[in-house]
Parts: sequence; C-alpha cells; structure tokens
Amino acid sequence: MGDIKDGDANEIWEMSEQGCYVGLTYDHLNIQEAMDKVRSPMAGAIVLFAGTTRDNFAGKPVKELHYTAYNKLALRSMLAICKDILNKHGLKGISMIHRLGTVPIGEESILIAVSSPHRQAAWRAGEEALEACKSRVEVWKREEFEGEEGVWRANRDGAMGQKMDS
Amino acid sequence: MTSSAPKSPPGHFSLLYFASASSFTGKDYESLSAPISIGKLFSELESRYPGMQAKILDSCLVTVNLDYVDIPTEGEEGLVIQEGDEVAIIPPVSSG
Repeated sequence: MGDIKDGDANEIWEMSEQGCYVGLTYDHLNIQEAMDKVRSPMAGAIVLFAGTTRDNFAGKPVKELHYTAYNKLALRSMLAICKDILNKHGLKGISMIHRLGTVPIGEESILIAVSSPHRQAAWRAGEEALEACKSRVEVWKREEFEGEEGVWRANRDGAMGQKMDS
Repeated sequence: MTSSAPKSPPGHFSLLYFASASSFTGKDYESLSAPISIGKLFSELESRYPGMQAKILDSCLVTVNLDYVDIPTEGEEGLVIQEGDEVAIIPPVSSG
C-alpha cells in the first residue's frame, strides 16, 4: 500500500469557509502555516495542539503508523466540526490539518489551531475540536509492529482493531 | 490509498472500502450492479467475502453519496442504491 496512487490527482485536499480551514496532506505538517491560518488582530490567544505518533500501544512497541482517509467525507466532517466550534466559542479562526500515509514515530499526525479574543475559550475549543475529530472524522490509523502484522485502530473503544489479512 | 474510485460503468455503482474493510476484501473499491438495496448489498458482500458480515460489516457504517444511511435490520431491505451512486463502507474511525 503506497502513500500515493493513481487517482490522487482528482482528490480533494483542503476546504475553507469563514474562519475555518481544514486540510489533509501526505507532507510533513507545518505548524507555522496552521497558526497563520487563524491569526487575527482581534485575537488575544492562539492555542495549538500537535498530536504526535507514540512508540507503543499499551506497552507494545509500534514501528510506525499509517493513516488513510475518505478525503471528501473527512474534509466535510472536519469543516462541520470547525464551524460548530468556531460559533460555540466565538473563535476568530480555527484550522485542522491531518497527515496521511506513513508517519514515523514522534512526528505530528494532526495539528489544530484556534484563535480567540481570550485564552480560556481557546483552550476549551482546542480540546473539543480534537475530541470531535477523533470520534467522527473519516480517517483511519494502522499501527505497524515489529515482526508481525499491523492492526487498524478504532478510537471508539480504545481497543485493538482488526487484524490485517495482508 | 486513494479514496476516489473511477466512475462506475452504466448500470453500476461504486463501492469504496476503507481500513479493515479494504484489508478484508483486498480492494480499495469495486463496481457492482445497481439498483440494489443496502440489505441485499450486505448479503452480496457476505457471499463474495465469506465472514465479512460478522468480522467487518457489523461494526461499520455506510454512506451513500457522502451521507450516512440507516443500516436495515435483519430481513429488511433498506435504502436502494442507484446507478452512479458512490457508496462507502465506513469502519470505526481512528484519526488523531
């Protein structure tokens, strides 16, 4: 399973609307860009969350992670989440970018940046955005282990996912 | 893995597989004959990929043209998929 296949040229990679920016990419995530998407003279705070890939699952060593997505639907869900959270917390901006393909251990797999007039709303909004993303967005993670087949994870129950047949 | 299937041929719809559904079938997508109800589709998938209902489909959601649809209970047909539709099997998600 390669990172990029035929058909990706027709794929959608980003969407934006009224203070909300969402993206998917096979590249390294760019923290500066994620922050600049939400920068505003009316904001007194930007909170940035960077999710990084951990080297173990319940103590079992993980070699690397591989992410895949239903791009069109994932971006639509991400945008819906961002719009909800922007309105609920009176944010000035929110960006959510997820990396796809192979992500080596210790690198960022997701960035969420939010800006608001005051820091309290930004902290809360950042956490809510991440939790909503993890529970709903159509992105999947496969953990690759040393010397055995990988498993698809499910955020829902935190349990081991399905064993791969290939 | 791409999530865009080529356009399905006349009389067919595109079925997209992700994550565990893709591993189980060994495919990212395929074209199947339309029209067909969600209930019949699940039976068809079980006969093509024995064990798929219990191992995969029972924990999956289904979208038709990017909207989630109800999964029919046993014996019911459910929504009817039409020619040209884009249908996807959505396993439990795990972003972050």
